[in-house]
Order: sequence, then structure tokens, then C-alpha cells
Amino acid sequence: MTTNAKITKLTKKDLRGAYNTWYLSTELSNSYERLQALAFCNALAKPLRKLYSDDDEYKDALKRQLQFYNSEGTFGCLIHGITLSMEEQKSNGEPIPGEVITGLKTGLMGPVAGIGDTIIWGTMKPIILALACTFAMQGNLLGAFIPFLFPLFGYLIGYACLNFGYKVGKESIMQVMKSGLINDIITGSSILGLFMMGALSSAYVKIETPLQFSINNADPVVLQNILDQILPGILPLCAIFGIYYYFTHKGQNYNKVIFSLIAISLGCAFLGILG
Amino acid sequence: MNIIFVAAVCGIMYFLGTSKIGYHFTTALGSPIVIGLVLGLIYNDVAQGLLIGATIQLVYLGVIATGGNVPADQALAATIAIPIALQTGLSAEVAVGLAVPFGVLGVFLDQIRRTTNSIWVHKADKFAEAADMKGIMKCAIIYPAIFGFCLRFFPVFLINLVGAEAVTFVMDILPTWVITGFSIAGGLLPALGFSIIIITIGRKELLPYFFIGFFAVAYLGINTMAAAVFGSCIAILSIFNARKNSKGATL
Repeated sequence: MTTNAKITKLTKKDLRGAYNTWYLSTELSNSYERLQALAFCNALAKPLRKLYSDDDEYKDALKRQLQFYNSEGTFGCLIHGITLSMEEQKSNGEPIPGEVITGLKTGLMGPVAGIGDTIIWGTMKPIILALACTFAMQGNLLGAFIPFLFPLFGYLIGYACLNFGYKVGKESIMQVMKSGLINDIITGSSILGLFMMGALSSAYVKIETPLQFSINNADPVVLQNILDQILPGILPLCAIFGIYYYFTHKGQNYNKVIFSLIAISLGCAFLGILG
Repeated sequence: MNIIFVAAVCGIMYFLGTSKIGYHFTTALGSPIVIGLVLGLIYNDVAQGLLIGATIQLVYLGVIATGGNVPADQALAATIAIPIALQTGLSAEVAVGLAVPFGVLGVFLDQIRRTTNSIWVHKADKFAEAADMKGIMKCAIIYPAIFGFCLRFFPVFLINLVGAEAVTFVMDILPTWVITGFSIAGGLLPALGFSIIIITIGRKELLPYFFIGFFAVAYLGINTMAAAVFGSCIAILSIFNARKNSKGATL
């Protein structure tokens, strides 16, 4: 069957179709049971149909893609690309067991999610939204349109990842991930992210104390002025790293922190410590 | 202003902002700034809508749904606090205090969504057995979207119908220190967002870059765009230097 079997190749259009379906519904069907599996399977359903004209093979392929899957949706598209290229080889007669494809997906989804979460959600999203905040706070309409840069960049990066994954396949991806390039990108975006978050927190975390002491009839000593002379923004810094300390040492309970912060604010307002 | 119209718009905005239709797109649609613009247009006070939206957005800047678990719901916070604040004239900081509890409630709605989504994945198993591509598509897109609409639209619609009156009533009986407390919280809560980003980035050895950014603003007063320009240059320089050094070491 090797010589005269028709070789089915996926076209650019097939890849784009799979990507658009994925992009449209990445998290829509996310369930506790199998997370993004259904979205993954749905995105690949059409190209798989093209590859497997035989109904039984097609069913197997669909069931394979319905198994547990969860990664970051942008860089995760590398995995879609690799999966499609492996399924293509398999459908054209290469002896690739289904377990290998599943194993590859499960093996890659963790590391890829780590990269995607750091770059896309940990750096790109907060920087874009923070820029939007700056404009919006001045009442500038631009502020409401800047957030859409996030989907624009995200869409393009994801599409590039899928194509890249399809083209270079499994081995090269592993090489790229081990090479310095990815590390450099992560380090660079971490530096930019931290620098921006420093600048923004200095601008937007506002904590001041109205406390002042007057001794006899001398000019009152305004505590905030003294603090500003020691280190401007010392109270916001204390707040940020106080919360940082809590999260890294005490626990990850987001809601507990948010309610504690409100309770502290109310307490300080009642006592007149902050204002 | 027709309150039913406003409530319906809020319900729809909340659905769009949490529907997860379009991976990053839903994040932009659910941004309190975007919701602030829409409501600002309705109430004919765009500047105030944007201001309140941006102030709420700051609290949720660092929120990341790792593993799909949403720790806080910025869209619910915004679709309830912004219309009420615009209607009753609350300040942006106090609006944040009002927004935050709803941001927490939204987490439960998302848990309901992801629990019920298991139904569709089991249905999809059967469609896969029948090689039914269309059926899988319905399970992956149509059904969760319809269920999502019911889940998201009605709570926000109903709360908005009564919200402004209830808030006005409560604000009248609250002592002033409580209002002050909420505006302190409005200035303090963004600290939460920033510390979460620091933790997410998770590179302790790079923390000095945070301080450079912080004091560049505190001492020199540069604005955000300037910070982005300087930050990018510093990031690129550091990578080039690190590369040069590692090459020098291997030679």
C-alpha cells in the first residue's frame, strides 16, 4: 500500500481552519474533568476527517484527541501543529502508534504552559492593560481600545506557533525549548515585566498617612513628609512586599488577602492612620 | 435612564466578557476599562466611566487563570460596580470597594460553568464514537455558549435592577469613616495585582529591575509610556550582555 496509496497533505487553509476553531473556543468548553480536551478535539476534527477517510480510523483519532489536555492556549498551539503533522504522517501509513501522539501531547503541555503563562499572561497582558489604564485614567478614549492589542498579538503569535509546530515537528521543538533562545525571551520579558510593574505600582498604589504630631506650639511634624524624605513610596512598597511575603510564605488564598486588605483599610480609616 | 436597558446591557457585557469566545479576545471585552467605556457612553459621562473602569482594572491586573482556575472575576466586578457608581455618583475608589466582593462571587459562577461542562465532554465521547464532527462542534461551542449566556446574563441583570437603590440606601446610613476606608482600599488593592505579577514572573534575581522601575517614577516622575521605552531598552541590553558573557565563557 506504500507505493500507490494517495498521500494526503494538509494545506495552509486546513491549518488556519483548525487554528480559528481553536481560537474561538479554547476555554469555552473547559471542564474540570478534561479541561481543554474537547476544544482541542473540536479544533482538529475537520483536518482529521480529511486525513482519515476511513470511519474507524477517524473515530480512533477523535477519541485520541478527546483525552485530557490542558496547556496555555497561545504557545500551546505548537502542540496542535506537532499533533497535526504526526497525524498526517500516521494517516499516510507511517507506523506511529496513537499512544505516542497522546504521550507527546501530555509531555509537552506542561513546559509549554509554563512558557506561555509567563510571556503571554504574566507579562504581555498586564503591560497592555496597564498602558490602557494610564490612558483611561486621563479620560482618553484610547484607553478602551488598547486592551484589544492583547487579542491581536495573541492571535498572531498563536497562529505562528501552530504553523511552526506543524513545519518543524517534535524533535526541533524540543531543541528550541532546550536552546538558549526561549530562555532569552523569557528573561527579557521578565525584565521588562518587572520594570513596568515597578513603574506602574509606583504610579498607582496610593497609600498615605494623615498623621501629624505637634509638640508644644512648634510646627506640626507631618509623618508623610518624613517618610517621603526617607524613601518616596515607602508605604506602597511595604504593602506590595507584605502581600508578596504572604503569598510566598503563608498561602495562596487570593480571596482571603483581598478581604483582609479591605478590613485593614477600614480599620486604618477608623483609627485615622491612613487616609 | 431606563434601568431595564442598562441592566440588560450589563448582562450582555458580562456574558461577552466571560464567555470565553475568542481566547484573548474575551479578556479584552471583559476588561473593566472597555465596560467602563460602554457604560460611560450610556450615562453620557465617558471620562468618569473610563476612570472607574481603569481603577477597577488595576486591582485585577495580575490575575492569571493558571490551570484554568479563575481566581477573581473582573467582568462581574465591573458590570455591577460601574453602572451603580455612575448612577449614584460614587467616587472611583469607593466603586472599587463595591466591586471587589462581586469579583469574588464570579469565581463561583465559573466553577458552576466548568462543572456543568463535564456533561458536554461526555456527550462528545458519544459523538466521537459515531464519527460525528458536527456533534462534537455543538458540544465544544454551541451548548456551553448557550448555557453560559443563561448563567452570566440573569444574575447581573437582576442585581442591576435593584443595585443602585440599595447602594444609595446603604451609603446614606454608613458613617464617613467607612467611605474613607473604601477609598483607602481603592488605593491599596492594586498592590495585590502587582505582587501577584511579581510572583508569577518568579525570578528573584531580577527583582532589582522592579525597583529601578519603581524609583524611576518615584524620583524622576517619568510616565508609563516612557517606562515602557526605557524598560524595553534595559531588557534588550541585559539579554545581549548575558549572551556575550556566556559566549565568552565557553570559548
